[in-house]
Amino acid sequence: MNIFIDKFFANTTKLIAIAILLIVAWIFTVLFQHSMDSIQAFGFDFITDTKWAPNLEKFGALPAIYGSVVSTFLAMVLAVPLAIGVAIFLSELAPAKLKSPVGVSIELLAAIPSVIYGMWGLFYFVPIIRDIFGGVGISMLTAGIVLSIMILPFMAAVTRDAMNTTPDILKESAYALGGTKWDVIKDIIIPYAKAGIIGSFILALGRAIGETMAVTFVMGNVHKISADLTQPATSIPVTLANEFTEADTDFYYSSLFELSLLLLVISFTIISIAKFYFLRRKRIA
Amino acid sequence: MATIIDINEEKALEVKDFEFTYASADAPSIKKLNMPIAKNSITALIGPSGCGKTTLLRSFNRIHDLYPGNKYEGEILFKDRNILTAQEDLINLRIQIGMIFQKPTAFPMSIYDNVAYGLRLQGIKNKTELNDRVEKALKSAAIWKEVKDRLKHDANGLSGGQQQRLCIARAIAVEPEVLLFDEPTSALDPISTAGIEELIVELKERVSIIIVTHNMQQAARVSDYTGFMYLGELIELGRTEELFVTPKEKLTEEYITGKFG
Amino acid sequence: MTHTKKRIILNNIVMILSTLSAVIGIGFLFWILSVLVINGIDALSMTIFTEEGAPPGYEESGLKHALIGQLMIVGVATFVGVPLGILAGTYLSEYGQKSKLSETIRDISDIMMSAPSIVIGAFVYAVVVAPMGHFSGWAGSIALTIIMLPIILRTTDDMLQLVPSTLREAAFALSAPKYKVITQVVYCGAKAGILTGILLGVARVAGETAPLLFTSFNDNFLNTDMNEPVASLTVTMYNYATSPYEDWQKLGWAAAFILSMFILSLNIIGRLFIMNKKGK
Repeated sequence: MNIFIDKFFANTTKLIAIAILLIVAWIFTVLFQHSMDSIQAFGFDFITDTKWAPNLEKFGALPAIYGSVVSTFLAMVLAVPLAIGVAIFLSELAPAKLKSPVGVSIELLAAIPSVIYGMWGLFYFVPIIRDIFGGVGISMLTAGIVLSIMILPFMAAVTRDAMNTTPDILKESAYALGGTKWDVIKDIIIPYAKAGIIGSFILALGRAIGETMAVTFVMGNVHKISADLTQPATSIPVTLANEFTEADTDFYYSSLFELSLLLLVISFTIISIAKFYFLRRKRIA
Repeated sequence: MATIIDINEEKALEVKDFEFTYASADAPSIKKLNMPIAKNSITALIGPSGCGKTTLLRSFNRIHDLYPGNKYEGEILFKDRNILTAQEDLINLRIQIGMIFQKPTAFPMSIYDNVAYGLRLQGIKNKTELNDRVEKALKSAAIWKEVKDRLKHDANGLSGGQQQRLCIARAIAVEPEVLLFDEPTSALDPISTAGIEELIVELKERVSIIIVTHNMQQAARVSDYTGFMYLGELIELGRTEELFVTPKEKLTEEYITGKFG
Repeated sequence: MTHTKKRIILNNIVMILSTLSAVIGIGFLFWILSVLVINGIDALSMTIFTEEGAPPGYEESGLKHALIGQLMIVGVATFVGVPLGILAGTYLSEYGQKSKLSETIRDISDIMMSAPSIVIGAFVYAVVVAPMGHFSGWAGSIALTIIMLPIILRTTDDMLQLVPSTLREAAFALSAPKYKVITQVVYCGAKAGILTGILLGVARVAGETAPLLFTSFNDNFLNTDMNEPVASLTVTMYNYATSPYEDWQKLGWAAAFILSMFILSLNIIGRLFIMNKKGK
């Protein structure tokens, strides 16, 4: 009897574990199948065409791709220096009394749902952008800033963790040669924690590019490529969130699935790069 | 009462009524300690773990200051000044008083850059001067022959013993007056240990050396003076051969004969 | 010494910049938090919990429908996702260990944890909503289950691996069969860790909006039939906040506040569990 239950338990757990792989494979397959109409009709033009006009059955994804890339790029440009600054402050500068409470609140802020960041952006940040740059305030720039603030806690927390892995004795050695705090940070801590820091930044990038709610509120879903960052724009997830329930034709529906597939492939690639090149999983011996 | 012999030679450092209290502790870890350190000789600090020998060593370059809340009292005299004051220029102090740690601490950079690190911190940019001083330091640390063909390689590719000699080269490259060794061979095999000990003895011509060791044979082999510490106090300081053969204090005798420790 | 002086000055500049960026970063985050608390508390009232949604302008409107809907959607996802995740994690830690299959599952799960959740929504739309012909609470729960699975799986896997192997060996030495060793000894040893993993997993999916937009959709009134569109706090928040009506926006803030407090509490409780364990 025990042997039977033993086998049953072992096989059940294995089956469920394998099911995870199957689900992921299934997701890719389904998205691909549902994109077929659009892939066959538009081919490669789908990602190079700038015109997205559902009423004309014309679907060019370039504005959405452009918006995803630019808003994420903006978010990274703003968040990276801030995250490094916060991490240096938390790991090397803050008095012991501040380290833990500030560190924990940053980690907790990383858990706040992105929809809240989006809502804050809409009600409090959009008016500021409107006052400074004119226009409606709903723009690529607004989306980039809100996105940067949303990824900041995660980035700062992991950068701090990576910096904290530097052995004390290594830091002391550099101080013992007459190094200043900054010397030790730039010559010892950052080179030592480099892989972890870059990996976390790329991981944050992968998350930012797939982020929906933080940007949907403040981007405007306008399919237009504009060099002016204060103009409304769109991104892949923003298009999906706004238009998915409106897709009334097969091509429209299929184009949205192709966008989903595109987004999944892009984030999968970025996250894999972060994971396999920079972040070897911490093994528990 | 402690037995502390007079030192006739010039003194590199002099500890006077020194007390040290860790931020997290109520009572001082080192109590009213007085100790002269002779110039161009090797002073070993021995004693059971927790006796305060490493704490004392780490006070000489004030590396304790990295962790807020630690408290010094009394004086440590170096070049006619008390280095424990708030005005002390710690960067300058640490250039003059170097330190070697329990484990090799090769920085994540090339062999060359490791040795040049302290020099560059001082603003030396001239390529020839850097090359000369790196070579000289590596030669003094008896590692030049092994690394001269791979100076641009990552220092972490060296063996433990080689890395420790690299760290010594890095420390002497800036030409300090005092070198502090904190159990420098505790992570090394016997052959590497012998090499490092030999090197330490050679170095005393140029620098004054203080070495903390848990290994009494090592203290006997390398040092000119030995200080025995117990529970935060210096129990006895004497010439090494005398302290190990005819200790004046009962506690010292018990420790070196292995009755506790 | 001039070079050292330069170094010291540079050091001070960088330290000031770093402190400044910390102040800016932390300032922004506390701004968001205070906005949330001030607007949230301002909008809170008893009717929020007792009344359903209403057209704009109605005095008697609340979030009862969204609160109950949220509980149902997340509850079902937890009910399904937690046991499946724990069992799959058990396989990785106890049976597969370092095998190629286990390593692949770990890698894919790690990647899925950061994958865009809106894509999961699109997937569930294609395989559940479209065939059924309508949005449903079930579809929302399925989307959240898929998002939750890798989280529970990986924390279970990690936590079980932390249980010392001597404990397992001791149990085996008493001739216990493997399933009993796992369910009676290993699970016990990893209890706090797994519980924390569950709390964090629930907290994570409770805040998801994007995958619900086109699965459970929304409903302005109370609906407890999981076969029909069901309101959730997050989608309600999105709809209300983007509406032009001030009273709806106010309800949106109330929803944001309640949801954030729920998620923060789960996170804090989870941390306390882990901390307690470390203290022992």
